[in-house]
Amino acid sequence: MFARLANGNVAPKRVIEGQATNLSRTMHGIAYDAIHDEIVIPVALGGAVLVFRADATGEVPPLRAIQGTRTRLVRPHTVAVDPVNNEILTADPSMRAVVVFDRTANGNVAPKRVITGPKTGLLDIVGLDVDPIRNVIVAASRKGNGEKVGIFVFDRLANGDVEPKQFIGGPNSKLAHFRQVTIDPATGNIFLAQQNTRMKQMEAYVLDKPREGFKAKEEKEDEDDDSDSGRLDQMGFIAVYAPDDNGDIPPRAIIKGPGIRLAGAAGVALNPKRKEIITVGGNGFQTFLLPEFFKPFRKTGGTR
Amino acid sequence: MRRVLIAAAAASALLLAGAEPSPEASAPGDLADDASLEALLAADCVDDTAMEIAQAAGRLPQEGGVASDQWPPHAIGGVIPPIRSVSDLFPTFDGVAVDTENNRVIFSDENRHSMLVYDRTAGGSSNDVTEPVQWVFGPKAQLGYIAGVEVDPKRKEFYTVNNDGGDRMVVFSYDDHGNAQPRRTLTLPHQSWDVSLAPTRDEIAITVQQSNAISIFKRGAKGTDHPIRTIRGLATGLEDPHGLYFDETHNELITANHGNWTQIRPYTPYDPIVTDVGEYKSGAFHPSAITFHAADANGDVPPLRTIEGDLTGLNWPMGIDVDLTHHEIAVANYGDSSVRIFRRDAKGNVQPTRVIRGALTQIVGPVSVAIDVKNEELWVANYGDHTAVVFPRTASGNVRPKRIIRNAPKDTPTCGFTNASAAAYDSKRDEILVPN
Repeated sequence: MFARLANGNVAPKRVIEGQATNLSRTMHGIAYDAIHDEIVIPVALGGAVLVFRADATGEVPPLRAIQGTRTRLVRPHTVAVDPVNNEILTADPSMRAVVVFDRTANGNVAPKRVITGPKTGLLDIVGLDVDPIRNVIVAASRKGNGEKVGIFVFDRLANGDVEPKQFIGGPNSKLAHFRQVTIDPATGNIFLAQQNTRMKQMEAYVLDKPREGFKAKEEKEDEDDDSDSGRLDQMGFIAVYAPDDNGDIPPRAIIKGPGIRLAGAAGVALNPKRKEIITVGGNGFQTFLLPEFFKPFRKTGGTR
Repeated sequence: MRRVLIAAAAASALLLAGAEPSPEASAPGDLADDASLEALLAADCVDDTAMEIAQAAGRLPQEGGVASDQWPPHAIGGVIPPIRSVSDLFPTFDGVAVDTENNRVIFSDENRHSMLVYDRTAGGSSNDVTEPVQWVFGPKAQLGYIAGVEVDPKRKEFYTVNNDGGDRMVVFSYDDHGNAQPRRTLTLPHQSWDVSLAPTRDEIAITVQQSNAISIFKRGAKGTDHPIRTIRGLATGLEDPHGLYFDETHNELITANHGNWTQIRPYTPYDPIVTDVGEYKSGAFHPSAITFHAADANGDVPPLRTIEGDLTGLNWPMGIDVDLTHHEIAVANYGDSSVRIFRRDAKGNVQPTRVIRGALTQIVGPVSVAIDVKNEELWVANYGDHTAVVFPRTASGNVRPKRIIRNAPKDTPTCGFTNASAAAYDSKRDEILVPN
């Protein structure tokens, strides 16, 4: 946890870590519940979602842990919290699913709803948020063959194998290797962090087994798969969309350039009151002050 | 011998990043929802970062793609400088290996994606940066978020493993320096963490976090060569494995486990939906443990013995090393910033024979250890500080180190995270939350 005004090479104000926390050193998502003052975090390597007091520090156990056979969780990657409807949502790329639990769920509990199946188009789900005002769930998911790489919008109460009501993706969108997605509650604007415009490369192994037929590409100097490639034509960005956007469209607003490249854009968080956008990636984070991004978009671009 | 000045290199980077710290905290003031840009700017300190990055942006060639002014059409925003930027521009020490034949110590640096090599006698009591004798970094080196380190004194080679950002092991020679191509690379499963060499068997062993596995390869394996055997499965007791030592003398593989377990299934964008998964086993949190497997084990094989339980004090154990002369195992215990020494043949819920811990030790978030039996020393690589600390081999308790190796000037902070991929904003405390 860092002070909002932290700048430069700064140590965190607080850290939650250690065996008793049940956290690991592999966590890809986080959500803050402002109403109940809690932090929600997925533990990919423990098949669990943990909830901590927001003021926790040091080696403290979680308030609640969602884990067990009824949960069906495998490798939860990202989380969102809906404090209005009292729900915690997680996306599990191994389940190929968005999974919804009661916000106060604790222990071995079954999900309330699961969005999964071929109609959903979901596969490698790496970003997730919920908008309780417009009643939608927004998921960022990737498929290696180029189909259905983008942002999926589902009805908040969707359940089972259902089609998304909106999908943003395609060549004009330049969406490829992205991660966290978040929603501005006032406008419904959707913010997405994209690390680069090159699709995530195929891994040589399927878990611990060599992938059949895998051929290594000729190694190039810029083959750093999980960060900005360093090429200007492939660099990462923060993309912003209107809540009703649909189809193969470019973003309404964008942050790009060397400010993003300092760390790469893997995560994005918002401070709507201060009109600040926080992007995180690699070994650092940056804060951008952009009031225009927190206004409703006009149909033809720009903001009202 | 070539010399490298870390401080100078980092200072160059600071020119772009603008790393002058501003006041860290202030109470969030009242701000109207429709506050003007000027009011927002006036409310907080905006330092030179914006100007530096704006100037850098102006120098960029517009080569098309997303860097082009033309994309996206009609969009607001563009090449925009941040008002604040938090980043640690110095190396961190992660893995460590000591070569007593050639008097070198090799560290992996996850933060700046480099390998730093020091003279074995380097360090002291200075507050200044310790200069490495060899520093490998740059795009040709193919170093991502690297973790464990191994050294082969006979061949004068050193190894490291990309835990993320490349899925490969890279091998360098003692002659490599700067932006050097690895002598060979070996593609590995994602989230491989440590590497240990068995020179007599001519094998290397690799831990894989997410698969809860140990994969064993021929020593000279390269490219997409496959493992010759893999230890994986429910019976193995491998749970989020990190540090690894290949004990050829006793034919054992010794592994430090964090205790996280899940029945992982394919998840990448290139794998189809898997429906036939067999019996579902849910995730679990178990205590940290040291497991011992037969060196020839293959498949779902239980450990020969395990060190686990409250008395052990194990807490996120990272790198390990084994002293075959004095029959001891040293563990970098990240969770309580200690080094714990166990008997090599210990098992069950046992206390360590020695613990090095406390403010005097300057052990902060240790990620790896190395025992130098020849020179009676114990090395500890601190991730939580820009240091490595060297103790007498038999050190115990809250004792000062003999020497300190610094990769940044004394008291340089560390951000404490690498490879972050998410953030949240805590509106009540005015804080930015980053999971590691």
